[in-house]
Amino acid sequence: MVSTIQQENISLNFKPKKFLVWLFVVSSTIMFGGWTSYYLVFMASKGKGHGLVLPEVFTYSTGVLLISSISLFLAARALKTGSRNKQRMFLWVTFILGIAFGVMQFQGWTSLYQTGAVLVNNNAAISMIYVVSGVHLLHIVAGLAFVLSSLIGSYKNVSQEVAEYRQDITSIFWHFIDILWIYLYVFLLLNS
Amino acid sequence: MSTISLHDTHHDDHGHGHHHETFLTKYVFSQDHKMIAKQFLITGIIMAVIAMLLSILFRIQLAWPDKTFPLLETFLGKWAEGGRIKPDFFLALVTIHGTIMVFFVLTAGLSGTFSNLLIPLQIGARDMASPFMNMLSYWFFLVACIIMMSSFFVQTGPASGGWTIYPPLSAVPKAMPGSGLGMTLWLVSMVIFVASSLIGSLNYVSTILNMRTKGMDLWKMPLTIWALFLTAILGILSFPVLVSGVVLLIFDRSFGTSFYLSDIVFGTEILPNEGGSPILWQHLFWFLGHPEVYIVIMPALGISSEIISVNSRKPIFGYHAMVYSLIGITVLSFIVWGHHMFVTGMNPLLGGVFMITTLIIAVPSAVKTFNYLATLWRGNIRFTPAMLFAIGLVSFFISGGLTGIFLGNASLDINLHDTYFVVAHFHLVMGSAAIFGMLAGVYHWFPKMFGRMMNPKLAYLHFWLTFICAYLVFFPLHFLGLDGVPRRYYAFTEFEFMNKWLTVNVFVTWSAIIAALAQVAFLFNFFYSIFRGKKATQNPWEANTLEWTTPVEHLHGNWPGEIPAVYRWPYDYSKPGADQDFILQTTPFSETMSSNLPHDFEGNEEAERIQKEWEAANKPVQE
Repeated sequence: MVSTIQQENISLNFKPKKFLVWLFVVSSTIMFGGWTSYYLVFMASKGKGHGLVLPEVFTYSTGVLLISSISLFLAARALKTGSRNKQRMFLWVTFILGIAFGVMQFQGWTSLYQTGAVLVNNNAAISMIYVVSGVHLLHIVAGLAFVLSSLIGSYKNVSQEVAEYRQDITSIFWHFIDILWIYLYVFLLLNS
Repeated sequence: MSTISLHDTHHDDHGHGHHHETFLTKYVFSQDHKMIAKQFLITGIIMAVIAMLLSILFRIQLAWPDKTFPLLETFLGKWAEGGRIKPDFFLALVTIHGTIMVFFVLTAGLSGTFSNLLIPLQIGARDMASPFMNMLSYWFFLVACIIMMSSFFVQTGPASGGWTIYPPLSAVPKAMPGSGLGMTLWLVSMVIFVASSLIGSLNYVSTILNMRTKGMDLWKMPLTIWALFLTAILGILSFPVLVSGVVLLIFDRSFGTSFYLSDIVFGTEILPNEGGSPILWQHLFWFLGHPEVYIVIMPALGISSEIISVNSRKPIFGYHAMVYSLIGITVLSFIVWGHHMFVTGMNPLLGGVFMITTLIIAVPSAVKTFNYLATLWRGNIRFTPAMLFAIGLVSFFISGGLTGIFLGNASLDINLHDTYFVVAHFHLVMGSAAIFGMLAGVYHWFPKMFGRMMNPKLAYLHFWLTFICAYLVFFPLHFLGLDGVPRRYYAFTEFEFMNKWLTVNVFVTWSAIIAALAQVAFLFNFFYSIFRGKKATQNPWEANTLEWTTPVEHLHGNWPGEIPAVYRWPYDYSKPGADQDFILQTTPFSETMSSNLPHDFEGNEEAERIQKEWEAANKPVQE
């Protein structure tokens, strides 16, 4: 009797916590919405955008991030079917791809810098590229922490419930930052 | 059977690791929502006292611009050299007064206190969705307070560009003394504050949506919960925009970008920044800033709905209308921010749009006001201190709301913008009203927080002095504004046409001083009653909501046994046919057969049949 109530409570506690991640997704979207609105109003009033051809490496990093999302999806599916080893492997793939994404973003910034499109710029639209991609990278770091917590849970052999909970919040967050980057990248491509 | 279930939950509570409570885990790093509510409240009260003292300081300057007060130099040193407040410090005073009141007192102090206290207690939950994040929210708030106050201890003084920190004063560190380190501290403090507020809001929304007790559907929630819920949603949707604005401001200040800056000249030096626009800051700021004023007032409105209904011994008039108007205010608040910017050279057509949306907000606000009055109408009113403050809120909300219709009008606003008319308007409608809502809440739920009652005589003294003085302070300011006296002016007497307002300013300052002294009655009452107040009974106001079914002595998990289930809405007061003039939400309809009404059963035919059978069997004897 006691144990059933406890179990009930655990799953009861997970639902609101998962919901918290969704709410965070909403508020983070709005923060980026603030920046892209700034960008649109700036462009409308000054009659110019960043006016650059974005570095090619951003296209590749977008691809890498997409693949990482797929591998995270596979990890979640592996966990559901009960094969922890497979989940672990896909989590590691996601983690490494996440790091690769970060490295490529740095390369992107370097090549922007080399073409003279620096952060401190009289064209605020160019500075904005650094701001949004920089803050997005901070989200990636947070996402990597989530992936790590799933990984640690996997090595510690936590109960299926806890493992699925960790995997779930990792998935929500990681897919969000994936979609977020695609939005930002397409936005910057369209509004040059 | 009951002992078994009690044992189970008891065990369960301790399963979360709260078995060995030390002083630190109970009072300092507490994860219990009731303790966190008290922490928010007491921190909020301390910040309110500080902000009030700051306002007295700048009121002294406004009333006696040519007098010297050597005492001021004793306390303030070089900021009041020769006993007169310096211009830079004056600007810092108004800036920090506004910042503290809006963010630290009326956002964190109000929402933080009552969301934490009431959400789990009134919806029937053991605690918040994430007690740990809840604790984090408080500690972020405290750190933000300390950083903000620390700016009084730097040589160049606190931020002084106004609480709206418009660039370039906020973006160019050498613009004025307060733009330096003080401004940096302001920004750091505000980033931490926003984090605290967001963590809190996420928690409140998740708790309300996921952790209601059995039977507590959305339409059975008290209006306090509705108000706190919608406030939290407003916070989640608007604070992130402030973050995006502040991040760009930090880049402008510290890294030399030009998001908000262009064509700035210092003497002979031209700053390199080019191409930005300070108007864009205003857009980002007011997209938060306007919802922010509803974040301030909505919890107060929710609190007074509850208190007015309890103390009128009547159901709240138009419960659904109350909820829909809160939702209406929430939605509309996002499309009115432009009314703060009518004088920025905005396209008149756009100004017209913002004007219309702004004036539409008067509709839900008026619905609420009339519903309060209709609830009071022919009620069996108990003038408890909480009730007086709640009625005071209604009064301020009306008086301040009326001037909102003037200011929302673009053509009038061009004249009234940045005058004392604006100051008078918002101090009544969101300042005094929200403070009165907060005080009403404190008086009403003090027994729930501390298990003791506050002294009613001191409370009445506090109410009447504060109520009268608040009007004496803010009502005359309208006339200054109509005459064109601008706000935030250090030496308005330098302009001949404003000289005649000096006597009015003396009157206003004396009223403010008396109002400040009246708060001593509250502070003494509050802190004395925590330790020495009369012991509270379980349900001192005879209210229906769930929090009054918990024991007076706090315990982790709120209810000793199972969480009670809810059967009815929270406003069954003076129901015809009932034995008492209040029926707890936990009382099933089967126990109140004599007072049930057909619509109580929400179309449940079985229940209606049973009720009809009972009525047939218990027909009253015709005389």
